[in-house]
Amino acid sequence: MATDNINKSHDNEEYEIDTLTNDRLIKDHNYDGIKELDNDLPPWWKWLFYLTIVFSIVYMIRLFVFQADDLIQEREYQLVIDKSAKENPNTKSTGTFEIVLLTDKSDIEAGKETWIKICAACHLVDGGGIVGPNMTDNYWIHGNSVEDLYKIVTNGVIEKGMIPYNTQLSEEARLQVVSYILTELVGSTPATPKAPEGNEY
Amino acid sequence: MELQKFTYDNKLTNYFIWATVGWGLVGMLVGLTLALELIFPNLSGEISWLVFSRIRPVHTNAAIFAFVGNGFFAAIYYSMPRLLKTPMYSKALGNIHFWGWQLIIVLAALTYPFGFTQSKEYAELIWPIDVLVVVIWVVFGLNMFITIINRRVKHIYVAIWFYIATWVTIAVLYIVNNLALPVTLTLSYPIYAGIQDALVQWWYGHNAVAFFLTTPILGMMYYFIPKAANRPIYSYKLSIIHFWALIFLYIWAGPHHLLYSALPDWAQALGVVFSVMLIAPSWGGMINGLLTLRGAWDKVREDPVLKMFVVGVTAYGMATFEGPMLSLKTVNALSHFTDWTIAHVHIGTLGWNSMMNFGMIYWLVPKLFKTKLYSAKLANAHFWIATLGMLFFSIPLYFAGFTQALMWKEFTAEGFLAYPNFLETVTQILPMYYLRAFGGTLYVIGAVLFIYNVWKTAAQGSFVRYENDEAAAKAPAKPKESFHRRLEGRPLQFTVFALVAILIGGLVEIIPMYLVKSNIPTIAAVKPYTPLELEGRDVYIAEGCYLCHSQMIRPFRNETERYGEYTKAGETVYDHPFLFGSKRTGPDLARAGVKSLPNYKPDSWHFNHMINPQKVSPESIMPAYPWLADNEIDLSVTPDKIKAMRTLGVPYAEGFEDIAVDDLKAQYAEIAKGLRSSGIEVGDNKEIVALIAYLQRLGTDVYNNK
Repeated sequence: MATDNINKSHDNEEYEIDTLTNDRLIKDHNYDGIKELDNDLPPWWKWLFYLTIVFSIVYMIRLFVFQADDLIQEREYQLVIDKSAKENPNTKSTGTFEIVLLTDKSDIEAGKETWIKICAACHLVDGGGIVGPNMTDNYWIHGNSVEDLYKIVTNGVIEKGMIPYNTQLSEEARLQVVSYILTELVGSTPATPKAPEGNEY
Repeated sequence: MELQKFTYDNKLTNYFIWATVGWGLVGMLVGLTLALELIFPNLSGEISWLVFSRIRPVHTNAAIFAFVGNGFFAAIYYSMPRLLKTPMYSKALGNIHFWGWQLIIVLAALTYPFGFTQSKEYAELIWPIDVLVVVIWVVFGLNMFITIINRRVKHIYVAIWFYIATWVTIAVLYIVNNLALPVTLTLSYPIYAGIQDALVQWWYGHNAVAFFLTTPILGMMYYFIPKAANRPIYSYKLSIIHFWALIFLYIWAGPHHLLYSALPDWAQALGVVFSVMLIAPSWGGMINGLLTLRGAWDKVREDPVLKMFVVGVTAYGMATFEGPMLSLKTVNALSHFTDWTIAHVHIGTLGWNSMMNFGMIYWLVPKLFKTKLYSAKLANAHFWIATLGMLFFSIPLYFAGFTQALMWKEFTAEGFLAYPNFLETVTQILPMYYLRAFGGTLYVIGAVLFIYNVWKTAAQGSFVRYENDEAAAKAPAKPKESFHRRLEGRPLQFTVFALVAILIGGLVEIIPMYLVKSNIPTIAAVKPYTPLELEGRDVYIAEGCYLCHSQMIRPFRNETERYGEYTKAGETVYDHPFLFGSKRTGPDLARAGVKSLPNYKPDSWHFNHMINPQKVSPESIMPAYPWLADNEIDLSVTPDKIKAMRTLGVPYAEGFEDIAVDDLKAQYAEIAKGLRSSGIEVGDNKEIVALIAYLQRLGTDVYNNK
C-alpha cells in the first residue's frame, strides 16, 4: 500500500523511543503533549480490510454480471413462492371435508383459542359484539346452521367488514371455531351485549 | 524561538458539560418512560402529549443532539484550542452557539409532544427550527475554522480531522435531507417523495450516526484517551488510513436501512457492500484507541475514566461489527422491523457515546475545578451499574427481536401462518420488555450517581475560568514533507478533500434515483390522495403512527401472506414524506385498506380501536388516542396543502384546491354515515375520520385495478 511510505521522510532522522513499548515515536508529532508512534498497520487488520473489499467486488459481479437469483429481489421472491406451491400444492384445502358440529372437548378448546386470538377483535372475547354482531343471542343475519356459519367464516361478508378467513385458518380451525360459537357462546351472558341484529331463530 | 503567551477560556467547555449532564438525564428518563409505556400502554393516562408515539422523538433527539451533541461540543471547545495553541476565535460566536443549541433543544421538546414533526427520523424538527439549526451550525463552523486558521501549531492533529469531517458532512446532510416546501409556519412537505425520500432520509439517518455519533466521538477519543492515560497514539499511519476510509465509505451505507424494500437492487447492493467494507475502518479507530493504552493497563484497572473509555471503545467495536452483519440481506430479513435494531443502537449509545461522555467528564471536571474527583468509588460503582444496565437492556431485546422475527415467518404444515394474529408475537416477547425496562432503570441509577459525583467534585473545587499557555508562532512547513503531512498543514485544503470524499457516495446513489426512470416504474392505477385522506395522512404523521407501524411489505412469503402484495416503488410516488417506518411494534399498514386481505378492518373497528385499543384487543400494547375524536382538522389550510403538493409534482388538477373542501366534506359525510349505522356518532371535521379515510385508502390503488 502506498501509505506504507508515508513517513519515509523520517527515515533518516533520529527517533525517540517509547520506553514502555519500545516502539518508535514520530519526531515533531506533539499536540498538547500527545505524541504518536510510528507503528505500521496491524497485518490482520489490513487483511480484514482486503477481505471485505474482495467480498464487495464478488458481490457486485454476482449482481451485475451473473444476475444472481438471491440478489434480485423479484426473482428471489418468486422462487420461494414457486417452491412452496410445489411442495404443498393443496395447502389450503383438503378437498373432502365434512361440515358437522364438533363436540370433542379438544375441538371446542381449540375453537375457543382461535376465537380469542382472531374473532374477539370484532366480536369481543365474551361474544357480546362491538364491531361485529352479538354471537350469544338468538338473532342471526345470515342463518345459524353449522354450514351457514362455516360459510361466513370461510368467505366473509366483506361489505360488512367481515373478511374471509380461508387464507388464515385451516378448514379444521374454521369448523372448530364455529362449533365453539354454537356450543359455548350462544346462550351465554356477555358483559355488554350488542343489540340484536337479523332475524330470530 | 520566542514563546507567545495566550489564555484559554474554559467557560463554554464548562457550560457544555453541564448541558450534557442535564440533557443526558432528561433523555434517559424519557427513554425509560417509553420503555414503561411499551409495557403499560396507557401509562400516559390519555394525555396526548405524553403518548409513546409523540415523545419517542423527544428521547431520540435528546440522546443524539442534546446529550451526545453537547458532549462533543464540550470536547471540541476544550481540546481544539489546546491542540492548536490558540484560544477559540470568538467568545460571542461561542455564546451564540451554546445558547442557540440549547434553544433548539428546548424548541424540539416543546414541539414534538404536540404533534409538530416532519416525521423523518432524527430530522423531525419543523422547518423554522431547521433554519435555526443551520444558522447555529454555521456559527459553530465559523468559530471552529477561524480558530484553526489562527493556530500556532502548523499541523492539525487527527482529532481535528474528525471535527472537520463532522462539520462539513452534517452541514451537507442536514440541508439536503430537510429541503421542503413550507405550507404553514409549522408544516412543510419534503421535496422528495416515496422511495426517493426514503433514500435521502436514510442517507441522512445513517450518516447522522456516522458523523454525529461517531466521527466527533472519535475526535474526542483521540484527545482524551492519550491525555488520560498519558500514552502516545498507537499508530499515526492507522489514523490516516482509517480516517479517510471511514469518511469515504460511510456515506454509501445508507441503503442498508432499506433492504428488501422497494429500493432498486443495485442501490441495496451498494448499501450492503459499503457496510461490509466499513468493518476495518471502524475497527481501525477501536484499535488505535485501545492500543494507545498499551503500557497503561495497570492504570485502567484503577482509573474509572479509563475504564469508561475502554468499555466505550469496545462497545464501538461491537456495534460496528454488528452493523455490517445486520446489513447482510439474510440477517436483515430477520432483524429489520424488530427490537434487534433497538438493541443494536443502544450498544452504540449506552456503550460508546455515553461511556465516552462519562469518561471525558470524570476527567475534565476535576481539571476545570482544580480538584480531585469527589469519589472514585462512586465512579466505579457507576461504571459497573452502567455496564450491567447496558447488558440488561440489550440482551433481552436481541432475544425479543429474534423470537418475533421467527414467529412472523413460521408457517404450519398446511401452509397457513402459524401466528396469523400479529398481537400473539407481541405478547410472546413482552417479558423481554420488562427486562429492558429494568436495564434502563439501572442505567438511569448509574447516571444519577454520575451527576451527584461530578456535582460534588465541582462544589469542592473552584472553577478555573482562564488558563495561560505559551507556544512559539507557527513554523513554516518543512521541505520534503509527505503528501498527507503537507495536507495536515493546510486545513482548508484538507476540508475540501474531506468534502469531496463524503460527496461521492451520496451523489452516486441519489442522482440515478432521479434521472433513471426504470428505478421507479410508473403504476397508472396509483392516484393522489383525496383531500380528506391527505388530512388524515397529516394526522398519522403528527401522532407518530409510523413509529410503530411500517408501510413497507417486503417480498417474503410470510409478509405477502399476512399483509398482501409486496410494496412497489411506483406506489409511493405521491408520498411527501415517505412513511415506510423502521419498526413494527404493531402490524404493517401498507395495505390496511384492501378489503380482501387478512389485515382489513372496517371503519367502526378503527374508530373503536383508536379510542380504546384494549376494548377490541385486550392484550394490545397500543395506547389510546381518544383526542382524535375531539380534535378537528383545519379546513382553512386544506387548499394550501393541495397547492403545495401540486407544486411538488402531485397531479392535482388546476383549480382542484377550490373544490377540495367540498370534496373533503362529501367523503367525510359518507364515512360518518357508515359509522352512524354502526351506532357511532361523530361530529364535524374530526381528525379520527380523516385518519380512517387515510387508512382505508392505503395500498388499495393497485388492488382495485386487478
